[in-house]
Amino acid sequence: MGKLTMGVFPGLVGSLSLDFSVKLAEAAVKKGHTVDYWVSSNATMLSKKGQRSFKDYSTLYKTLEELFKTGNFKACACEACAEARGFHKEDLMEGWIRKSMDWYLASSFDADRVLMIGGE
Amino acid sequence: MATTKMGFIIKSLPYKTEASRLAMTHAIASQTVEIYLEDGDMVEPVVCFIGDGVLNCLKNQATAKHYDITSIEMHIRNSLLLDLKVLYCKEDLDRFGIKEDALIMDAEELGGETKAQIVPYSEIQKEMDSVNHLQFF
Amino acid sequence: MKLGVFMSDYRTGADVVDRLSADKLGIIFVGNGIYRATLKEGGSADPILQKSATFYVLTEDLESRGFTAANLAGNIKAVTYSDVVDLIFNDYEKIIWI
Repeated sequence: MGKLTMGVFPGLVGSLSLDFSVKLAEAAVKKGHTVDYWVSSNATMLSKKGQRSFKDYSTLYKTLEELFKTGNFKACACEACAEARGFHKEDLMEGWIRKSMDWYLASSFDADRVLMIGGE
Repeated sequence: MATTKMGFIIKSLPYKTEASRLAMTHAIASQTVEIYLEDGDMVEPVVCFIGDGVLNCLKNQATAKHYDITSIEMHIRNSLLLDLKVLYCKEDLDRFGIKEDALIMDAEELGGETKAQIVPYSEIQKEMDSVNHLQFF
Repeated sequence: MKLGVFMSDYRTGADVVDRLSADKLGIIFVGNGIYRATLKEGGSADPILQKSATFYVLTEDLESRGFTAANLAGNIKAVTYSDVVDLIFNDYEKIIWI
């Protein structure tokens, strides 16, 4: 089994690219791989607690909650990106951590595969 | 002791999205990654500008003056100050008619010695072949 | 290198992919990239399909946009997220998103 490190920039609402990344992470973990998941830029909104479910919007947090339970999924949000958007450590969804960008590079160091889904 | 080489390939125009700026800041973060790694292990970035991305490399960017934010120019200069390898695609510069004197080629004013390099696309392809992981921004 | 490329857009990215060279190249159409695998704009298939590569399209994104595998040319394989994971770990050593 391998390790996939993903970096993701697109926002929570308005693009399905973030959904792609979460569904890919879910599929990888289901197959027994481990996934390190890094969000920067607008994707940091994915790490905010208190998201509500509406039919017009994705409800990715539910998948994340299940992924955290597996123990094979780690997720980290860019601290500066989050603070710049006005949400703070106390706003973080359970399971997430916040670090600077070197966390992502450190995870990439021993990853078998790295996928960066850059900005839109 | 091991080195993981990572390619940061920037193809996006500046400022409309965060892509090019975040590519630079992620590459620069390689300088502090050691806190997470074993002694001697390191991440070695190479930053390549291709396609429309070469327009990030023009000097005299005045975003600090007009928007009060750090310019991509300053991020490129900081990366050169930190001795990152920075490559610009010659064919794409030629396509836009951009000459070397219009480009950010060094960080001399910050005390840096490393220079950016203008190279044919074939050299950038070689870099992409040689890295462990490749990322496009 | 063995390179897997996710193409996520219909209008952009072809110039980048056009220049890429790899010993083994896989192109996986996702998001709006699926239109490259399904449309024949002006009567012609997308030029990217002329590239020497193995082509895949993500079924979930294909069907989300009103198409099915029946709309695909014979050289394009419909794959699921689970299949994509296998492609990433078994077939391609570097993967990029365009």
